[in-house]
Amino acid sequence: MRNGEHIRLEELELFALGALPESEAAALEAHVAGCGECAMKVAEAHGSAALLAFAAKQEQPAGTVKAELMARIRANREAEERYAWPLKKEAEMGKERLDADARSSWWNWVLVPAALALALVSFALSWQNRRIATQLEKQRHVAETLIHDREEEEKLVSVLAAADTVTVKLAASGDVANASGLVKYNGKLGVMVYTADLPALPPDKSYQMWLVPVNGAPISAGIIGPSGHAWGKLWTAEVPANTEAKAFAVTIEPVGGVAQPTGPKVLLGAS
Amino acid sequence: MRPEGATGEATSDWSLLARIGQKDEEALSALYDRYSGLVFSEAKRILRDTGAAEEILQDLFFQVWRTAERFDPARGSLAGWLLVAARHRAISKIRRKSGKSEELDENGVTLGVDVESHAAQNLLLDKVRMVMGSLPDGQREALECAYFEGMSHTEIAEKTGQPLGTVKTRIRSAMEALKKVLS
Repeated sequence: MRNGEHIRLEELELFALGALPESEAAALEAHVAGCGECAMKVAEAHGSAALLAFAAKQEQPAGTVKAELMARIRANREAEERYAWPLKKEAEMGKERLDADARSSWWNWVLVPAALALALVSFALSWQNRRIATQLEKQRHVAETLIHDREEEEKLVSVLAAADTVTVKLAASGDVANASGLVKYNGKLGVMVYTADLPALPPDKSYQMWLVPVNGAPISAGIIGPSGHAWGKLWTAEVPANTEAKAFAVTIEPVGGVAQPTGPKVLLGAS
Repeated sequence: MRPEGATGEATSDWSLLARIGQKDEEALSALYDRYSGLVFSEAKRILRDTGAAEEILQDLFFQVWRTAERFDPARGSLAGWLLVAARHRAISKIRRKSGKSEELDENGVTLGVDVESHAAQNLLLDKVRMVMGSLPDGQREALECAYFEGMSHTEIAEKTGQPLGTVKTRIRSAMEALKKVLS
């Protein structure tokens, strides 16, 4: 393939004609890339081979090809100018000048009303959104209440229906007369259901129900409320399951209740 | 047919190319008018498909438009580059269809003859046809298989049933005859 350090003309012409196998063509290209003399000869060989183009039957392309080409370059040129213009403009005029131009342009007559309309629509949507959110919150509260009531009813039913539920009557104790109460307790479930008829209390006081276990300190079973007169209303309370009750009691405590009884007993019943 | 300047002298390819580099559409139009027939005919001869040949023609001149400033007159003839590039693209299309690929250097073509006017082109067309007509069938076939079909000498040998050495000799002899056109 080589004559000394250079490639033979025969090989160069075969290469220019495209007649060399790929492996040989690659080797030749690698040599030509680093050899100026062979590069010059291969350029001549390409020129000689290109003469064969004149052996082809001469035809003219359709006129639409040139029209499409010119349209293509025009579009390319416009696109380049469009992208180049803002950079040139900014460089020449400065950003402040651009801002001033923007403010005074006729676009403002379109953009300002459009912005106002957009603000109004945005406000209306925001107000409607708040209204819907409020409604959703109310609905959520109602749903939670219904769920809570249903859970209370289920506890009530389970306690009332259970065979091992005990019933304890509460009698007045101390200075409160004509007070009474009733407790149904299921120690296995750890659920109490109770009701009471009690006189009204001052606004800063509450009645608090207690389970007094066989062992240990009294366990709070909830606040009956400051107004008393709870007949017809049932409360439920959960206490630790399997707690053996010795007695149930109601005391008068500060509003909100306390951890351990501090006030006078008004109702008491032994389990 | 050759574009005339203000002095009445013909505009050279490289002058047109310089103007194309300045985004002169008229210059590109003139260059297209000068060489589109040759480029299209060559591509169509290889591809045997008018649409595909027109596509190559348009893409090639669009490349000239976009990269005119990169063409170096020192590397040779613009007409030669157009013809070699068109052939390479057409052959690549054929070879892609047959699962082959080819990396080609499209730069650096020394045509060695003036084809910047249609008169010069017509003269060269006559000379080349005369030479090709005078070649023995085996030599002409070997040249055409290589240039227009993109076949290697081995493939030509297989196709013609001739020994590889014979194919190489035929190609060398045919090229020698063809180069006499340039003298």
